[in-house]
Amino acid sequence: MPAANISALGATRKMLGFSRRRVEFERATVAELLRSLGTVDGRSLYDNLVCEGRLRGDFAIVVNGLSLKSDQLNKPLQGGEEVVTMAILRHLHGG
Amino acid sequence: MAVAQSVPAESNWIPSTCGMCLHGCGIRVQVRDGVALKIEGDPTNPDNLGKLCPKGNAGLSRLYDSTRVLKPMKRTNPRKGPGIDPKWVEISWDEAYGTVARELGKVRADDPRKLLCAIGDFQRILLWGWPAVFGSPNFFTSLGNYCGGSYHPVNGSVDGSFAAINDYDRCNYWIQIGSGDGFSSHLHLSGSAKRMADARMRGMRVVTLDPRMSVAAAKADEWIPTLPGTDRAFVLGMAHVLIHELKQYDREFLRDRTNAPYLVKEDGYLLRDDEGRAMVWDMQLAAPQPWNAAAPADMALEGAYEFAGMRVRTGFQVWADQLRDHTPERMSEICTVSAETIRRIAREFVEAAQIGATVEIEGKTYPFRPAALNYYRGSQSHANGLFDNLTYKMFNMLVGNIDVPGGHLGVPLDHRGFFIHEGEDGVLKPEPHQLHPAPPFKYPPDSTHLMEWFPIGFDAGQLNTETLLEPERFGLNYSPEVMLMYHSNPLWNLPETDKVEKIMARMKFVVAIDIQRTESTEWADVFLPDHTYLESYLLNCLEPPAVTGHSLRQPVVEPVGDTKDAYEILTEIAERLGFRDDWNDLLNVVTGFTANPKYLLDPEKRYGVEELWDRYARSIYGDDKGLDWFKEHGHAVRYRTPEETYMPYGKLRIPFYFEFIKRLGDEMQQKFEQVGMKDWPLDNYQPLPFWKNSQVIEDGKAGYRFYAITFKESLHTFADTVVMPWLSEVSEKDAIHGGILVNPITAENLGIQTGSRIRLTSPAGSIEGQAQVVEGIHPEVFGVSNAITRHFVTNDRQKQRGSHFNRLLTGSMRYTDSATGGLESSARVRVEKI
Repeated sequence: MPAANISALGATRKMLGFSRRRVEFERATVAELLRSLGTVDGRSLYDNLVCEGRLRGDFAIVVNGLSLKSDQLNKPLQGGEEVVTMAILRHLHGG
Repeated sequence: MAVAQSVPAESNWIPSTCGMCLHGCGIRVQVRDGVALKIEGDPTNPDNLGKLCPKGNAGLSRLYDSTRVLKPMKRTNPRKGPGIDPKWVEISWDEAYGTVARELGKVRADDPRKLLCAIGDFQRILLWGWPAVFGSPNFFTSLGNYCGGSYHPVNGSVDGSFAAINDYDRCNYWIQIGSGDGFSSHLHLSGSAKRMADARMRGMRVVTLDPRMSVAAAKADEWIPTLPGTDRAFVLGMAHVLIHELKQYDREFLRDRTNAPYLVKEDGYLLRDDEGRAMVWDMQLAAPQPWNAAAPADMALEGAYEFAGMRVRTGFQVWADQLRDHTPERMSEICTVSAETIRRIAREFVEAAQIGATVEIEGKTYPFRPAALNYYRGSQSHANGLFDNLTYKMFNMLVGNIDVPGGHLGVPLDHRGFFIHEGEDGVLKPEPHQLHPAPPFKYPPDSTHLMEWFPIGFDAGQLNTETLLEPERFGLNYSPEVMLMYHSNPLWNLPETDKVEKIMARMKFVVAIDIQRTESTEWADVFLPDHTYLESYLLNCLEPPAVTGHSLRQPVVEPVGDTKDAYEILTEIAERLGFRDDWNDLLNVVTGFTANPKYLLDPEKRYGVEELWDRYARSIYGDDKGLDWFKEHGHAVRYRTPEETYMPYGKLRIPFYFEFIKRLGDEMQQKFEQVGMKDWPLDNYQPLPFWKNSQVIEDGKAGYRFYAITFKESLHTFADTVVMPWLSEVSEKDAIHGGILVNPITAENLGIQTGSRIRLTSPAGSIEGQAQVVEGIHPEVFGVSNAITRHFVTNDRQKQRGSHFNRLLTGSMRYTDSATGGLESSARVRVEKI
């Protein structure tokens, strides 16, 4: 069965209750991977991060170093991917 | 003084990175018996080529400054105010941390937005996210906003760069407007000065526009004095000349490499087909075609057309029509430069640009446009800064010189290079935000600097001078109660000092992380002393104009006092407040470890500063180039390749018609109307720049006859260096730092002589100082050197030397660019002899 390494940062780490885990999955898209991950509120990570089929604007998912666009959740996974989930902090400072 | 572990007893040269400004030239420091003796430029570093500016040479006087704070301190005088002695008492780090954690913890439990932060350490940009992890969106300083508030968003929107510079190696005709690049300031001065000198030796001509005879003006072939904030009029006049009089511009570049041929409807939006594709006018078909369906040679660059009962014009034509009345004569009345000069410089520029020429570099043929206009703070840090920046970029576009040899080149933020993503219609995706994503619109806003209301702007810290004193006007439903200052001095760098004092007086607790006492740290309750750059680690790569790669800052001596690295300080506070795990996660994002998860910090573990930078180095350069490699070699800096420098975005077009700015403005208007806020200014969300008066010009009609500007030379950066004895002493010997500069004609008219005490009064406030009569300043302008602006210093020699220029500035929206949040850095003043 294919597997990916999930690294969860910030708010997504708190949702999932772990920071890093190897996760096996049956169906090979990012969306399905997110659906297979249960969170502490009883819903899946998909339910927490996705709205109307699109990744919410305050979250980001990085697969093998590349950020997914909000409409790329059907990206196929082959197994062996490094997937990072995170909330976006928009109030970093600078000027 | 203890001997540093890595330093042998005999004299030794240790490679490191300068920290006297943000850019970080390579240095080597001579150390003997644990004492740093001398600093030189690192000759192996191609960034600065062994050169070092006065600030870098004076670094030892910061390390060994007798007024440095060397132990944590707490104030024992509960009274706060200007000139009030805090009665500092040294305390242990444990007591200091305990107090800070207790006071910040109370606010975090109540409402973390009540923490107000001011962070001004540009080299430690990785640490800027600490307040966000605390839970606060608030930012209080204007340090960078004076220079980059409008500049960076426009660079990012044009070509995904962060800054820009003309091509030192190949430019032959360099127009310099309100900038010290290559002469006295801005991007990587030490190396840039060498590159500029080399270019002059091979015959490059320089024309400088500046109200004052700056170093760039004094060394130019021609100095053209102008009024502050009117440089745009000069350049718009030149654009008029190129388009309407000479009819010389790079049609091929504009047609094939920008969206200038895209058709614009009367409502200002692009004409699109049913599939949403932008349309161009196909001259063969005499009809619109999708941009990617028409043959380039058939695309109309100019013209107005009728289509389906609509009138459409190309984006180029829209600007050409706007510029029709921007004649040199009309622009001359605004900027005071003669129409003849505007025409002459425009003609010289376009002739030097050699439109149509090509050059072969390493086997690849590029367009060759050896004429370019370079600009920075003085020409665009104004209330219409968006228009200023767009004008300068578009003037360069007229000769097709953007990112081509000889021309005007984007400079990336850091080692990651240009931000290149395909946007709409084959155009490079605009990247106005590179330091953090834009927060979505929100009412009431979360941030006191109203970041949610500036979708293309940076952090307009100056707005705090209004929002914190009248929060209800802006819908803010809370007020900050505690403040964290990290190497920032809002009482110096914000406008309207009196208001800032009122704001700081309201704070229940203030903690400062800094090296020295400042105007602002005197209001702190706890002072946590930071290492200097000669005692700490960091990998630096910021805005390098010619190179890329990191240079290591490393300790050259043991810390002089009981100080700590700011990373360690912030990590300890995060630990005591219970969010070290989130802090590690944030560092994972800002370091880019998320792209290579094997380097991710474990949220449960605490990492020392060396371990952090070791991971950072290895994540970028590979496991064989960790911190130990950098300690030995000093840097991994190399020249950027032609492929990284010239048109790194390949066939993607760059925007000429900025539809996305108009769209954002219209969206903001809808959002404000939905929440019942109808009076928020949105007038600068325009797709093309033109001339309109700023509030500063309007102030002239209210009796404020003269202009006031501030300026700096290579001796100083921000205000930090003003307190350094070596630099201060050098400044004192130069007349331009001796007082408020005034032209002899004006001085005579006002009865002023060198040494006369004068008062400048703007709509915001007034300053006093002694006059310095000099030829090299526009007769309508008074100039105040940055070197004399500090009103509190710990060195007695410097106390009350000069005038705090920022008191003349205003922090309100009337003096802020409504699109970018960039603030106005000049003022209109009345002048009286006292």
